[in-house]
Amino acid sequence: MSNIVTTATAANGPDAQAPAASGAGASRTPGRRRRRPKHIWSYILVAIVLFFYLFPLAFLVNTALKSSAEFAADPVGLVTSPHFENFVIAWQKGNFGAYILNSILYTAVAAGIGTFIGLALAFPVSRGYIKGSAWWTVLFVVVLFLPNALITQFQLLLRLQLYDTQLGYILIMSAGVGVGPLLMNGFIKSIPTELDEAAALDGVGYWRYLVSFVVPLTRPALATVFILQAIWVWNEIILATILLPDQTKSPLTLGLFNFQGTYSNQWTLLAAATMLVAAPLIVAYLFLQRYLVNGVVGGAVKG
Amino acid sequence: MTNFYPFPRRGPMRTIFIVGLAVLGVFGLVPAVGVLVISFTDIRGLPNLPIHWIGIDNYLAFFSRAHVGDNLNAIKNTLVFAIVSTVVQILAALGIALLFNQKLRGRNVYRAIVFMPTVLGVTVIGLIWSLIFNPAGGPASSVLKWFGTNSAFFGDPKLALALVIFVQIWSILGVSVVIFLAGLQAIPEDVQEAASIDGATAWQRLRLVTIPMLAPSITANVLLGIVNALQSYQLAYVLTGPNNHATQLLSLEIYVQGFGGTPGAVVSQSQGYASAISIVQFVIVGVISVASLLYLRKREARL
Repeated sequence: MSNIVTTATAANGPDAQAPAASGAGASRTPGRRRRRPKHIWSYILVAIVLFFYLFPLAFLVNTALKSSAEFAADPVGLVTSPHFENFVIAWQKGNFGAYILNSILYTAVAAGIGTFIGLALAFPVSRGYIKGSAWWTVLFVVVLFLPNALITQFQLLLRLQLYDTQLGYILIMSAGVGVGPLLMNGFIKSIPTELDEAAALDGVGYWRYLVSFVVPLTRPALATVFILQAIWVWNEIILATILLPDQTKSPLTLGLFNFQGTYSNQWTLLAAATMLVAAPLIVAYLFLQRYLVNGVVGGAVKG
Repeated sequence: MTNFYPFPRRGPMRTIFIVGLAVLGVFGLVPAVGVLVISFTDIRGLPNLPIHWIGIDNYLAFFSRAHVGDNLNAIKNTLVFAIVSTVVQILAALGIALLFNQKLRGRNVYRAIVFMPTVLGVTVIGLIWSLIFNPAGGPASSVLKWFGTNSAFFGDPKLALALVIFVQIWSILGVSVVIFLAGLQAIPEDVQEAASIDGATAWQRLRLVTIPMLAPSITANVLLGIVNALQSYQLAYVLTGPNNHATQLLSLEIYVQGFGGTPGAVVSQSQGYASAISIVQFVIVGVISVASLLYLRKREARL
């Protein structure tokens, strides 16, 4: 399981998300005054921390723009004349277009199914509409701490004739719901039960209620659950190696990893390929980080 | 116990509940439980070979003279990895969270930057740090050159594990920082102010007010760190390959024993034995996690 998906020990949905949301706003400490010198030291420390995070990326860009001759002559020097054709060459040699389509397919479908599972299981359990709510909640926690099942997942797909099929890989990834059901379970409690009753009185059926009422009302939680699982699916590499030996079905991560194996010493090309893979992630991250931060905090703080 | 169900029919609810549960069950829970079952068999990677019950032979093999050296090495690496990465990660994350929790300009940007590796994924992270730690003239190597020394970095058996731990901490530090920041923002301002008025120094406030009140976040982070570190192997796989003695982790051992460690799956591998390693790993993770949880809960209660 991914880093974030294994985060949670228990979720309390909207309650836990409140501090994160308020933290995004302005500081709420108007009364205290700090002396200036202390802040200067703080900014210096911040600069040191950020250096560790920004320098590797900057160096990656710098390397990606060099010609191989320039890199060989001086690997660490600043690029003099940028060689943008590295990206074109990497894109063509790495066949990244096809891999990106694979990754989008796996990520969208698997995270979509996973989010659906979270909602379909969590709503009736959270409401107590199904027998044994307490036990189902235990199950939501248990799915976070399952043993490493590489072997059995491989055997299962082999026996279902789904080995080396995109469907098989997608189904395995869908089942990696991680913190999703638990997060939904907590969040749904913020919807008043009276709404269920009012809608039912007006003749709204269960499915329509889920789709037209619960989905819009839980949109922030659904988005968080979807994004957490999407990141896990997008970045997964070992299961893809095992379950999809046919390289035309490889996701982008595996494509990049194999590219590294093939062009192991051509660092300018490797750096360009890495940037091609990382750039869309970083752009998406800029838009999605709010949901991510909420999800991590919602999943972990309660403890 | 079921609550009052307002909708006209239970059928639709049960239908999608069962559909969701079926996907989760077949592709998630069955493989997880199956690991225990097939760890008592001699199952192999090929589908048509006969399978025999062999009792605890796989577990005996784990501790047999032929394997015990490798396995103890993997267990040792796993424990070193888990302990060092958890401790360093928590101390660093706490420091950074305290730093970012001040009234600094652009602190949300800082938080976003430190959290960013969460989306990058192991392949991209692996390539970036391989580039930084490139022994033939990467930036890290240039720094060492100023001091008149050099290193093979990931190729140096004494250093490889430490560097993998470093990259692991770099990758998931942001998650801990975000959890700590949420915890810090939940501490009421007036508590800090009261301590201030009573003449507490900054260090005393940190030690006697902030850290005790952060106890739930610390618990969450310790558990997160332990579970992550004991289960994560993708980074070691990407950075140093599956068959590197210096960075052999238990979870990687499962992959190597089950699939031969090479893409394309060597089908003669003993997957029963690999499953037994899975179970051993699961037990170790479980015992350590539960022990630390109990200890931290007890501390929380005392505070």
